[in-house]
Amino acid sequence: MDNVSELLHGFTIAVTVPHLALMAVGVLLGILVGVLPGLGAPNGVSLLLPLTFGMQPVSAIILLSSMYWGALFGGSVTSILFNIPGEPSSVATTFDGYPMARDGRPTTALATAFGSAAFGALVGVILITFLASWVAQVALAFGPAEYFAVYFLAFASFVGMGGAAPIKTVVALAIGFAIAAIGIDTVSGSVRLTMGVDELVKGVNFVVAVMGLFGIGELLVAVEEEFHARAVSSKIEWREVFRAIGRLPRHGVALLRSAAIGCWMGITPGGPTAASFMSYGIARRFSRRGRYFGTGEVEGIISPETADHAAGTSALLPMLALGIPGSATAAVMMGGLMIWGLNPGPMLFVDQKDFVWGLIASMYVGNIVAVVLVLLTVPVFAALMRIPFVVIAPLIVIICVVGAYSVSNSYLDVVMMLGFGVVGYLFKKLFYPLAPLVLAIVIGDKAEDAFRQSMLMSKGSLSIFFANRLVTCLVVSGIALLLLPLVLQLARPFRKSTAGETSAQEKVII
Amino acid sequence: MISRRALELATAILTGSFGVAVAVQSLDNGIGWSSEGVESGTFPFLTGLIIVAGSLYNLVRGAVPAASLASVPVAITSIELRRLAGLFVPAAIFVAAIPLLGMYVASAAYVFAVLAIPKHQSILRSGVTAAATALALYVVFERMFQVSLPHGALAAALGL
Amino acid sequence: MRGTSVFLLSASVAVFAASAPACAAWQPQKPIEFVATAGPGGGTDNMARAVQNIITKYKLTDQPVVVVNKGGGSGAEGYVYGKASAGDPYKVIFGTSNAWQQPLVSKVAFNYTDLTPIAAMAQDEFLLWVKQDAPYKTAGDYLKAAASGEFKMGGAQSKDTDEVLTRMIEKTGNVKLTYIPFKSGAEAAVQLAGGHLDSHVNNPSESLGQWRGSTQRPLCVFSPKRLPAGPKITATEGWSDIPTCTEQGLDIKQYEQPRTVWLPGKVTPEQAAYYVDLMKKVQATPEWKDYIEKSSQIDTFLTGADFDKFIKEDLERVRQVASEQGWLVK
Repeated sequence: MDNVSELLHGFTIAVTVPHLALMAVGVLLGILVGVLPGLGAPNGVSLLLPLTFGMQPVSAIILLSSMYWGALFGGSVTSILFNIPGEPSSVATTFDGYPMARDGRPTTALATAFGSAAFGALVGVILITFLASWVAQVALAFGPAEYFAVYFLAFASFVGMGGAAPIKTVVALAIGFAIAAIGIDTVSGSVRLTMGVDELVKGVNFVVAVMGLFGIGELLVAVEEEFHARAVSSKIEWREVFRAIGRLPRHGVALLRSAAIGCWMGITPGGPTAASFMSYGIARRFSRRGRYFGTGEVEGIISPETADHAAGTSALLPMLALGIPGSATAAVMMGGLMIWGLNPGPMLFVDQKDFVWGLIASMYVGNIVAVVLVLLTVPVFAALMRIPFVVIAPLIVIICVVGAYSVSNSYLDVVMMLGFGVVGYLFKKLFYPLAPLVLAIVIGDKAEDAFRQSMLMSKGSLSIFFANRLVTCLVVSGIALLLLPLVLQLARPFRKSTAGETSAQEKVII
Repeated sequence: MISRRALELATAILTGSFGVAVAVQSLDNGIGWSSEGVESGTFPFLTGLIIVAGSLYNLVRGAVPAASLASVPVAITSIELRRLAGLFVPAAIFVAAIPLLGMYVASAAYVFAVLAIPKHQSILRSGVTAAATALALYVVFERMFQVSLPHGALAAALGL
Repeated sequence: MRGTSVFLLSASVAVFAASAPACAAWQPQKPIEFVATAGPGGGTDNMARAVQNIITKYKLTDQPVVVVNKGGGSGAEGYVYGKASAGDPYKVIFGTSNAWQQPLVSKVAFNYTDLTPIAAMAQDEFLLWVKQDAPYKTAGDYLKAAASGEFKMGGAQSKDTDEVLTRMIEKTGNVKLTYIPFKSGAEAAVQLAGGHLDSHVNNPSESLGQWRGSTQRPLCVFSPKRLPAGPKITATEGWSDIPTCTEQGLDIKQYEQPRTVWLPGKVTPEQAAYYVDLMKKVQATPEWKDYIEKSSQIDTFLTGADFDKFIKEDLERVRQVASEQGWLVK
C-alpha cells in the first residue's frame, strides 16, 4: 500500500494549476505533431527539450509526457480519416477505422478509437502504479532468445489468417523482410541490399513505405472508383461522440483482452507496434464477427487502439526503471532526463520519489486531459471528410510528400514513397495483403538480429529457444497460433475449390 | 484497358525481379555460418528465394486463367485508367519539380494546377487554396518545428 | 535585402574583429544545419543539441542553427550526406571516430578524407563492466575466469569501437570472448543486468544509472590515468575510484572515443577557421562544462595538426585489429 500513498502524494504535485496548464499545452502540441505524418512525438519532444532546461524536472517531464499522449492520440486521426498511419503502431487502426470513416461514420470511428485508447492507457498506468518493481524484474528476464520468441509470437498471431491467397501473403511477407534488411546490419556491421544506391545505407524508413503503400495507394484506388463527396451529414455530431463512447462497455471482453495483450507486449520488449498487430490478429480470430473485420468493425478499431496505448504507456516503465528507451520518443526523453541531472535506472525510484510519482500521477491526469481535448477535436477532424475529394486529394499527396521528406530530409525518400504508392495500388488491386508486408518492415530486422544474437550465444544450437520455461512457453504458443488455422482447415471436409478461394479472396484483404 | 491477367503477370514479374535482385545482392554478404555466427547475407538470400518462388507461382496462376480470373477479366477500364493518370501524373510532375522549384513553390503550383486546370474551382479560389497550402507548410515546418524543407535550385540561383 | 546583409556583415565583422581576428574573413549568411550522425537521444545527438543551445543562448552567430538527425547505417547516412554536400559551408557534421573507422570495415560510400576536419571536442572513456554479483573484483580475476572461453561480451554495433576493444582485450589478456553486438550500449547494459552477458565495455554515461542502481559495476577504466574526481555515484564510490586497467594487469593503456565535428569537403580554409573558432567559443562557456560533467565525458579540444595526428594513430590501431580479424574491406 506504500504505492498508494506515494501516488496520492504524486497527485498533489501533478494537480496544480501550472502543471494542468502545461499538460494542456503539451497535449495540444502533441496532437498537432501526431496528426502531421513525418513529424512525430520525437520532433516535438526535441523541440521542447531546450525550453525545459530552466524548469523543475517534474514540470518538464509532465510537459513532455503530455505531448507524448497527445501525439499517440493524434497519430490515429490520419490513420482513420485518410488511411495514412503516421506511426508504426497506428497501422492496425487503419484496417477498420478507415473503412468506417469512408462509409460516412468518421465521428464514430474517431470517438471509438480515442475512447478505447484512453482505456488502454489507463490500464497501463494502473499496472505501472502497482507492479512497477515486479515489472522491471520481468523485463530483465528477456535475453535475445526471448526477444526473438516475442517477435515470433507477434508474427504467428497475425499472419496466416487474412483472407488473401496464401502464396501472395508469403510473397508480401518476404518482400517486407527484404526491405527491412536494407542498410547496415547490426550483427555483422556490413552493408546489405543497397542495390548500388549509396544513400540506401540508411535503410528504408517505415514512414516512407507506409505513406506510399497506404496513403498514395489508397488515393489511387479511390480515384479509380471515383468516389467523390461522401455522404457525411454536415452538422457537428456531438451526440454521436458520446454515443460511441457509451457503446464501448458492450465490447468489454475485447477491451480487457486487448489491454492485457498491450501491457504484456509493453513490458516484454515487443512494443506498441507488435502489440497492436497481435491484438488485432487475435480479435479477428476469436471475435464472432471476425469475418467482417476489415469492413469497419467496431472491435477492429478497439483492439489495436487499446493494445497500442496500453503498450505505449507500460513501455515507459522500462525506461524509468532500467534506462532502456522503448521508442524514439522515450529515447529523447531519456536524453532530457540526463540533462536535468537525473539518471534513469533502478535508483530513480529511490532517489527521486517526487519526480517518479509526480510523473506517474501526471499520467493519470494527463491522459484524462488528453482524451477530453482530443474528443473536443473530433467534430473538427471529422469535418475534414466533407472537403470535396478533388481538393483533398492533392493535399493528401502533399502531406505524404512532405512527410516522407521530413523523416530524414531526403529527396530519395520522396521518390521511393511515390514508388511504394504504385506498389500499394497494384497489391490492393490484386489482393496481395499489405499488413504482413508492413509488419515485416517494422519488426523484421529486429527479429533477425535477435535470432542471430541467440545463435552467437548458443554457438549455433537451436536448443537456446527451449532453454528455460519462459522462452519455451513463448515459442510453443507461437507455433500453436501458427498451426491452429491449418489444423482447423484440415479438420474441415476438403472443399477448397478455386471458386471458394475467389469468394474468400475478393472479400476483404487485410 | 488493362486485363486482370496482364496486371497479375506484370506484378508477378515485378516482385520476382525484386526477389532476384535481393538474392543476388545477398551473395556479396556471404551466406551460411562463419565465426561471426549466421552470416549477414543468409536471411536476405532466403527471403529472395522465397519471393522468386512465390512470384513464379503467381506468374503461372496469372498466365493460366483459373475460374477466378475468368470472372473478372478486366482490371482497369480505360476510363479508370484516365482517372488514375489524372491523379498520378500531376503528382509525379510535382515530385520531379521539387529539386528545381523547392517544396513551397512546387506544392503551390501543384495545388493550383490540379484545381484550376480541370476547372474544379475558380481561378481565384484555386489561387487562394494554393497560397494557403504553401504558407501553412512554411509556418508549421520551417518556423514551428525547424524542419527545413527543400528551397530548390531556383531559390539558390536567385540568392534567397 | 542586399544592403541589409552587407550592413549585417560589416556589423558582425566589427563585433568579432576584436575578439577573433582570424575568422573575420568569413561569416555565415544562411541558416546552419547541424547534422547529427545518430538518432534522437543518442550521445552524438545530445552533443549537437548542446552546442546548438549554447550558440543560440550566447548569440555566437546571427544565423539560426537547426539540428537534423541522420543516424541511419550506424551514422553512415550522415557522413554520406556530408560527402554529397561538398563545398557547402552550412552543413556541420557531428560524429565520432566511426568517421574513419567505419570505412575500414564496411563498404560505405564515404571516407573521412571526403570531409574537412574541424575538431574533436569531448572524449568518452571506456570501462570494463560486470554484473554486480559477479565473483571477480579486479580485471585480473576477470581474465582468469574468462580463460574458460565461455564468456559473452556485449557491445554496441559490430566491428565498431566496442568490438575493436573486445578484440584488443582478447589479445592482451590471452583469452577468447564471444562478442554479441546490440543496437546500443544501453541495450547491452540491460542484457548484462539480466544475466544474459558476462561483461560489456560501455561508456560511463551508458551505464551510470545501472551502476548507481547496483545492477552492475565497473572493474577498470581503459585510460592512462584515473578519471577526474567528481561527485560520488554510489554510496562509497565515484568515477575517480575506479582503477585503470593497466594497474590491474590488463595492459591496454588508452582507448577512447572522441566526439568529432566536420565540414563537408572542398570548403575554404577561412570557412573552416570560422567553425574552429566557433567551437572554441562554445567550449569556453559554463554550459559546456555542465554538459561534459552531466554526460560523464572528458573535456578536450583537438584541431588542425593535433587532430590529424590523433586520427592517424587511431586509424593505425584499428587497422591492425581489423586486419588480424580479417575485417578489412577488400
